[in-house]
Amino acid sequence: MKAALEARGVTKQFGGLLAVNHVDLLVPESSIFSVIGPNGAGKTTFYNCITGFYTPEKGDVLFYGESLVGLQPDQITYCGIARTYQNIRLFSTMSAIENIMVGEHSRLNANWAEAILRTPRMVREEKQAVEEARRLLNFVGLAGLGDQAARNLPYGAQRRLEIARALASKPKLLLLDEPTAGMNPNETAEMVGFVHRLRDELGITILLIEHDMRMVMGVSDRIAVLDYGEKIAEGSPSEIQNNPRVIEAYLGKPMAE
Amino acid sequence: MKTQIKSSLRAGITFGIVTLFLYLIGFTITVSQIIQNLLKLEPDSLVLGVDALTFSFALFMGGLGFWAGARQVSVSRKGLGSALVAATLSGLVHGLIVALVAYITGTLNASGIKMNTYLSQLLPASVQLFIFNQTPAVGALSQLGFLTFMGFLGGAVSYGITVSNLFGRLAGAWRSLWGRVNDVPVIAKFRASPAFNYTVCGLILLLMILLPLRVGQYWNYTLGTVGIYVLLGLGLNIVVGLAGLLNLGYVAFFAIGAYTVALLTAPAPHGLVWNFWLVLPLGILAATLVGILLVVPVLRMRGDYLAIVTLGFGEIIRILSKSDALTFLTGGPKGVNNVGGPELFGWVFDDVGYLYLIFLSVLLAIFVTRRLQNSRIGRAWESMREDETVSRAMGINVLKHKVLAFAIGAAFAGLGGVLFAARNQFTGPEDHNLMVSINVLSAVIVGGMGSVPGVIAGAFVLKGLPEILRELENYRVLAFATLLVVMMLVRPAGILPASRGKFEIQGGGSTSEPGKEGSQK
Ligand SMILES: Nc1ncnc2c1ncn2[C@@H]1O[C@H](COP(=O)(O)OP(=O)(O)O)[C@@H](O)[C@H]1O
Ligand SMILES: [Mg+2]
Repeated sequence: MKAALEARGVTKQFGGLLAVNHVDLLVPESSIFSVIGPNGAGKTTFYNCITGFYTPEKGDVLFYGESLVGLQPDQITYCGIARTYQNIRLFSTMSAIENIMVGEHSRLNANWAEAILRTPRMVREEKQAVEEARRLLNFVGLAGLGDQAARNLPYGAQRRLEIARALASKPKLLLLDEPTAGMNPNETAEMVGFVHRLRDELGITILLIEHDMRMVMGVSDRIAVLDYGEKIAEGSPSEIQNNPRVIEAYLGKPMAE
Repeated sequence: MKTQIKSSLRAGITFGIVTLFLYLIGFTITVSQIIQNLLKLEPDSLVLGVDALTFSFALFMGGLGFWAGARQVSVSRKGLGSALVAATLSGLVHGLIVALVAYITGTLNASGIKMNTYLSQLLPASVQLFIFNQTPAVGALSQLGFLTFMGFLGGAVSYGITVSNLFGRLAGAWRSLWGRVNDVPVIAKFRASPAFNYTVCGLILLLMILLPLRVGQYWNYTLGTVGIYVLLGLGLNIVVGLAGLLNLGYVAFFAIGAYTVALLTAPAPHGLVWNFWLVLPLGILAATLVGILLVVPVLRMRGDYLAIVTLGFGEIIRILSKSDALTFLTGGPKGVNNVGGPELFGWVFDDVGYLYLIFLSVLLAIFVTRRLQNSRIGRAWESMREDETVSRAMGINVLKHKVLAFAIGAAFAGLGGVLFAARNQFTGPEDHNLMVSINVLSAVIVGGMGSVPGVIAGAFVLKGLPEILRELENYRVLAFATLLVVMMLVRPAGILPASRGKFEIQGGGSTSEPGKEGSQK
């Protein structure tokens, strides 16, 4: 199977701290690949290296064979990578549907002159953008809430809206950063189903950071474990569950709640 | 109970100190004179047995005392008894403080000590007024009794209003009446139809055409100034309100527009005397180019740094225009006189013509703002304002959109500058000082960031209100500042905060007519 994303020896340092240390990773196309690890293991930092917010000191990140290192975050989005955030980061005063429409930015073309003149092409494009946004709103189960300000939505809805916003750029690879953080077991179970739908219905490759072990084991095709910035294990869910190094890293931590 | 007494004491002390402050700066006598003028009382006439000025002063003090008492009720919200106790207590404390000072100053004044040598506003007349033109003892006791009573009265009235929920009921009645009017089929249909919007726009347009012909030169001038500030506000609104870039040197672009038209149309210092209609686009273009040139090096700065750099830039432009060394180029400190104006088919623009031109520019600016706001560009700007980092992750080229916001903001300011200099037939360094930037920014904030109607309202408040407050003379700035503070307390998001377009239910808010998004329910 083709590799969607490949990390080769990615290293990111903050002063003396090796937040990500020589991480190799190979994410096959159309798979659900999870990255787990204790708090502070460097998972979010690793995401930031992929999406261009940090430039790794060493190593390379390849997306369908093309290097992403050195590209700006917005250029990387154009390549087909979208992400969500561990602590929800919506455009809080904008409405839900406008948030999604911002997510569509990279797929729209109208420039300022077309916007002022409202050329037929621009009007058509806008109309399609609104329709697509409505469709995504439906897809994540937020129909009817589109005109609410994002900050007024319930917590679970905000999480799903963030995913809808990420989907709006029609990504090939979606990076989810702890999508079930702060959710109750019911909502978490829904999220498992939802992540499956993303892959099965939209064919998107998914890289997932997750704390909830039940979710990780239930949803992942493959799992990599980070600890102190290093990848200490990789394998299928059952391999990971029985790996002594993983158990050690998680000792005393809620490995299987 | 204890906390309530404490809160009453605190309120009494606060009101006491505020009253004394107003007394020390001489505001008490000034405001009494204003009240007297407003009520059209003859200075020598007697009202209820006292002279007009004392009566006006009593009205003012009574209002203060009433307020002090009324406030206590809304704070305590308990039974009638405790509400009245709280109100009276704060009135008593208020009265004690005022009476004490009234007695001391009154006595000193009576013994011939001229306090105004130390505190310039404590003129004998003001001191006498503060004891109601009585002897110090009688005056002080009157203050005490009066303020205590007014506190009590304020408490009683306010309690009545609170308990009967008078305002709530009034609002309810208004709402149901309004609802019933809107439910009448014909009216409902009319309001929902595009014809309604066209009618409203038509009426506004008609007003814009007729007003300048009616109100006379002075108001045409004032309205023109307000209009130019609306224009500036709309430009800064794009930069600050939409894109979230704090620009404190916005006046620079205004100056560049003004100097472009001045230097190219005035007989001195360059003797170019070009046609206004040719220079108008040049002024806009020059401001836009400078806007782009300025922003490129500071693009990566955020927040405060950007504010400081732009602030400096605004000052640099002003200082350059003022510099003696550059007088041959800019006209120097004295500025440029005889700036040329527009002519159309032989009609040399007068005050009415300029006002039309300004209105037209404002309409154009509103049009451009609306269209950009409701596009991919506008959404990108707003997302940058909300969270620049995430905005980049959405594929938005933040640098490019910052330049665009700056350029368009600068273009509006350039247009404003051209109109301003041409209308005044003059421009000089002091037309372009920091206060312009601050005023425009205030208009945007007071009106409501990111909201076009807000900017218009803000410009009226910032430039129109001072004209109306002229009556207050020396206290104009004080009153104006107080009003601004009160406004921001009452409506922290601005007078007319931005309303969001509806996309989901209405269907295609962004594809509807410009100028109407968000106004539909
Ligand atoms: N911008 C930063 N500057 C300095 N240290 C950072 C920064 N971001 C993260 N870190 C540090 O890097 C380590 C990894 O953090 P992070 O990637 O957020 O962990 P995780 O997402 O796995 O919980 C932590 O020790 C954290 O304190
Ligand atoms: Mg993290």
